[in-house]
Amino acid sequence: MTGARRWRLGWWLPILAVALYVTVPVISSIAYAFFPGGELSFEVLSRLTQDPDLGPAITRTLLITALTIVTLIAVLVPAVVAVHLWAPRLRSVLEVLCTLPLVVPPIAVAAGTVALLRWGAQQGRGSLPSRISQFLQHPELPLILVGTYVVLCLPFTFRSVDAGLRTIALKELVEGSASLGSSTVGTIWRVVIPCIRGPVLFSVFFATAVCFGEFAIAATLNRETVPVWLFTVSSTDFRASIALAVLLNLTTWALLLIASFAASRYEVLHRRTPDDPALSASTPAPVSAQEGSTPR
Amino acid sequence: MTNPPNEVVLDHVSKSFGTTTVLRELDLHLRAGELVAVLGPSGCGKTTALRILAGFERPTSGRVLVDGRDITDLPANKRDIGMVFQAYSLFPHLSVAANVEYGLRIRGTGAAERSRRGQELLEMCGLGALSSRYPHELSGGQQQRVALARALAVQPKVLLLDEPLSALDAIVRRQIRDEIRRLQQQLGITTMFVTHDQEEAMSIADRVAVVNHGSIEQIAAPREIYHRPRTQFVASFVGTISEIGVSPSCGSGRLEVHHPGPGRDTLYVRPEDLRLQPEATGTHVVVAHTFIGERTLVRASGDEDRPDIVSSVSTAEAGSVLVGTRVTPYLAAEPALRIASTSSTPDVMAV
Repeated sequence: MTGARRWRLGWWLPILAVALYVTVPVISSIAYAFFPGGELSFEVLSRLTQDPDLGPAITRTLLITALTIVTLIAVLVPAVVAVHLWAPRLRSVLEVLCTLPLVVPPIAVAAGTVALLRWGAQQGRGSLPSRISQFLQHPELPLILVGTYVVLCLPFTFRSVDAGLRTIALKELVEGSASLGSSTVGTIWRVVIPCIRGPVLFSVFFATAVCFGEFAIAATLNRETVPVWLFTVSSTDFRASIALAVLLNLTTWALLLIASFAASRYEVLHRRTPDDPALSASTPAPVSAQEGSTPR
Repeated sequence: MTNPPNEVVLDHVSKSFGTTTVLRELDLHLRAGELVAVLGPSGCGKTTALRILAGFERPTSGRVLVDGRDITDLPANKRDIGMVFQAYSLFPHLSVAANVEYGLRIRGTGAAERSRRGQELLEMCGLGALSSRYPHELSGGQQQRVALARALAVQPKVLLLDEPLSALDAIVRRQIRDEIRRLQQQLGITTMFVTHDQEEAMSIADRVAVVNHGSIEQIAAPREIYHRPRTQFVASFVGTISEIGVSPSCGSGRLEVHHPGPGRDTLYVRPEDLRLQPEATGTHVVVAHTFIGERTLVRASGDEDRPDIVSSVSTAEAGSVLVGTRVTPYLAAEPALRIASTSSTPDVMAV
């Protein structure tokens, strides 16, 4: 074996190891859930659909996910934009605040949340804190989970959005948009978010993964989301819970792949130069023949 | 598709950042439909003045008026002022057409009208065939044309140009400069053009405002700025000039040149107003020729007590003052500026 070939093999080995580390449990789970006795069977799926609690759990989780994503983007993007534009010195403060959930275990977040909600409930029936506490814990749509999931997503999404904003000429874009009559909110919606589409997509799919995977807080608050349902059903039908976990896992992977593909396709499209043959075939030639500058 | 032109007034505008004062009681009046170039060195406050007019900065004191209406407290997006930036600031995710139509979309203009006006502007800027391209598929010059079309599409009351040509190479810069002037005159829009390039300012503007240390030193037509500068700074900042010290009694004719100093008048003389006569006993020696086409700039160096001087001769006659020739300077016309000395001690002879 030549040195170059050995070097190439050495380069591939860690990748292979990581691939095995990630795929073997998933493949084992698929085998366990869909190949009982060595033969392919989807009988476990029909058992899943017959469970009356699964539908509401999925609906609830989807609603929580949607609200988490909207809240996360609506709060985080303007906050990071504001810090970049008008208070760059506060960036490190915001970074520390957003990173804090990393060092607080979810169970501690859950304990704090439960204590707060209990305090609200203890203020007397009909009192404002009590009503707020009840409203946040509504069994059909526990908004308290939206708040906690937003906090859990902050460390990663902040970094992603922050890095995205650093790659664009934010100030010039915002001022350009304002000079054309757009408000700051309109500019964030029409210009900033599309310009950081990759990081925003990452945030969306990361939040989806968190909402469909978080167990500790939802279980502590006794709210039946998909992970809590999975845990409950695993005691009576372990194979069905594994089947659904595999499906969720694969869905999350698919979403992340779509996000990565969309972001990279967007970047490739926007980095092409006029000399790119793929573009010259589909776009008209420049009108200004005397133009002397080189394409930028 | 033009609005009636609007007057713009910056009235005693001051701006401080912390302890640093950038603008000091700046007064600037742009007449309706004229193009005023604001010229000055880096850090003089010209861009701050433009950003205050655009609404991106708030003045510490003073007022901003457009057609007599005080807009000092109006946010940038309500001012109806178009702006072209040095770095284009095109929206990278939008096509050329969508960029130009962006302001119209914000204003709620219908799709058909938006498209018609966008295309009209793009045709006017020579970009009609590029409407489906994206900014990164265009050259710098084309991007700046799109930025111009985008700013004009909303029919702003005032157009602001913040060093729009700085990022372009020389040939394109001249083309875009001429196009800006053509469009500005065609649309009759009141325009403020900020630049540190004096050639650019002098060639495009109806009037040039020379700014130094946050206030306007002089505002006048380019010819007047060049030939009749009102201050020492304007004289030395705009164009090539020789700064020489002479006797207070010195008139036109042969010059006994010294460094400016006490007891001497200081003359600021344009190269074309200074004639170099080859003489064996001349006070200066020609040290360099700079060929600028029909004319040649001739730099002559004096001894320790005499400053360098620059004269302009026709290129055909440049052979009579070759490098190394000893010459005597003569004042062929009134100096651009004369700063009289308080002392009357005559030490320079006028012949």
